[in-house]
Amino acid sequence: MVATVLSYLDPGSGSMILQMIAGGTAAIAVTAKLYWRRVTKFLRIRRSDDDDQ
Amino acid sequence: MRDRGSFRDPGNRVFDAPDAVYRALSAEAAAEWRAVAATPLARDPRLAATEEVEPAPEGWAAMLRHERVPFVSYPYEWPFSLLKRAALLQLDLLVDALGEGLILKDATPYNVQWDGARPVFIDVGSFERYRDGTAWEGYRQFCQLHLYPLFLAAWKDTPFQPWLRGRLDGIEPAQMRNLLSFRDRFRRGATTHVFLHARLERRYAHRAKEVKSELAKAGFRKELVVANARKLRRLVEGLDWTGSSAAWGDYAQTCTYDDADAARKAEFVRAAVASVAPRLVWDLGCNDGAYSKLAAELGAYVVATDADHHVVDRIAREERERILPLVVDLADPSPSLGWRGAERKSLPERGKPDLSLALALVHHLAITRNIPLAELVDWLAGLEGALVIEFVDREDEMTQRLLAAKRDGLHADYDRATFERLFRARFEIDRSEELAGGRRILYLARPR
Repeated sequence: MVATVLSYLDPGSGSMILQMIAGGTAAIAVTAKLYWRRVTKFLRIRRSDDDDQ
Repeated sequence: MRDRGSFRDPGNRVFDAPDAVYRALSAEAAAEWRAVAATPLARDPRLAATEEVEPAPEGWAAMLRHERVPFVSYPYEWPFSLLKRAALLQLDLLVDALGEGLILKDATPYNVQWDGARPVFIDVGSFERYRDGTAWEGYRQFCQLHLYPLFLAAWKDTPFQPWLRGRLDGIEPAQMRNLLSFRDRFRRGATTHVFLHARLERRYAHRAKEVKSELAKAGFRKELVVANARKLRRLVEGLDWTGSSAAWGDYAQTCTYDDADAARKAEFVRAAVASVAPRLVWDLGCNDGAYSKLAAELGAYVVATDADHHVVDRIAREERERILPLVVDLADPSPSLGWRGAERKSLPERGKPDLSLALALVHHLAITRNIPLAELVDWLAGLEGALVIEFVDREDEMTQRLLAAKRDGLHADYDRATFERLFRARFEIDRSEELAGGRRILYLARPR
């Protein structure tokens, strides 16, 4: 779906791949952040459950 | 009148009018504009002030009106500090745009203009809605037209201006790689943005569609674009260029004027600027910018040009409000460039000055660069505005130094009488003043 979007500028395939590689640590950080949010959300749900009781 | 530099993006068409710049948008581009207009970016002072006007011209979905910048300039005229500032602005706007769910679809420095030393982003058409899973399509352009030229200056002490003027698309990754030495491999940013970039470009040539879909499936996301932009920003922020010492960098200290003459010269220029009351001043051969500052203080907008990148960069670092410092060699000035030779304009085509300052300039052009005096006078008259010009006669110490480098007799006709004869043929002299015991003469004149 995304792949059908046309750009007016040739972004360069290699240049796009590079952005994935250059963002390496950031990619890890994003994943970590995702799980961290799940954990905190989980904790928050428990806490709110406690409040309800 | 249609701007002949704005055809590359088919969704936008730019028109030049005396009061402002107008931009017609296709239905698709108009939808992107509406998305931008709903965010604070539409009123961001870093962007040229923009408003939608009615009605849209026939065949277009919307029409925008932009505030005009005082004078258009191009990256191949900018000193290091301006290109660096423009690069930082691109990255800042990219990050801010992503925060609003938008992205910059390109990264050309031609989208940045200047109000003095303050960068103004002039192309709202570059913003569009961010689509999940996509990378920054302007990254390659950012490297070619910002990052590599800055590397060239900072790492190789090589001026980037001739490279950008020689090729409007800038320096390609493989070309940049070939310019770097073994030692450069260890510089920050070299491995990723040059060596790896060049290698990947070769490996993935002509596989854009496939790569785009791969990236989307691998979970490429906005946060990665932001992270890359922040890293790039730190990299650019750390780049500096001081270069070898300027030939004329200390000119103000070493010139042949004593204090009294220097004060009289400044007074002559001040009085000239006050009497002409120019809106736009060109300071040709601006050196340390002392006279540009004087004209700016009197309310003019000054385009300060010099062939010496060092002195121009020094002015740029002072970040003056009404002074645009440009690297221009008058013996080899910016030509018309690009498609049909009309995409980028020569200097006079971008607006002629109301007043030009040509101080301590004539002897350099006439003697060092062998520009005939008659040619020089003719060119200055063609600028149509008033002119403050200094003629430095043969006996002057500086002229003697320049003549010493030339074959005897080559500039036998370089003297005050010849200059005045040629000058009076094209100019009406309002007033003149002799300095340094008559070896230097100042004139305020208007073309006939």
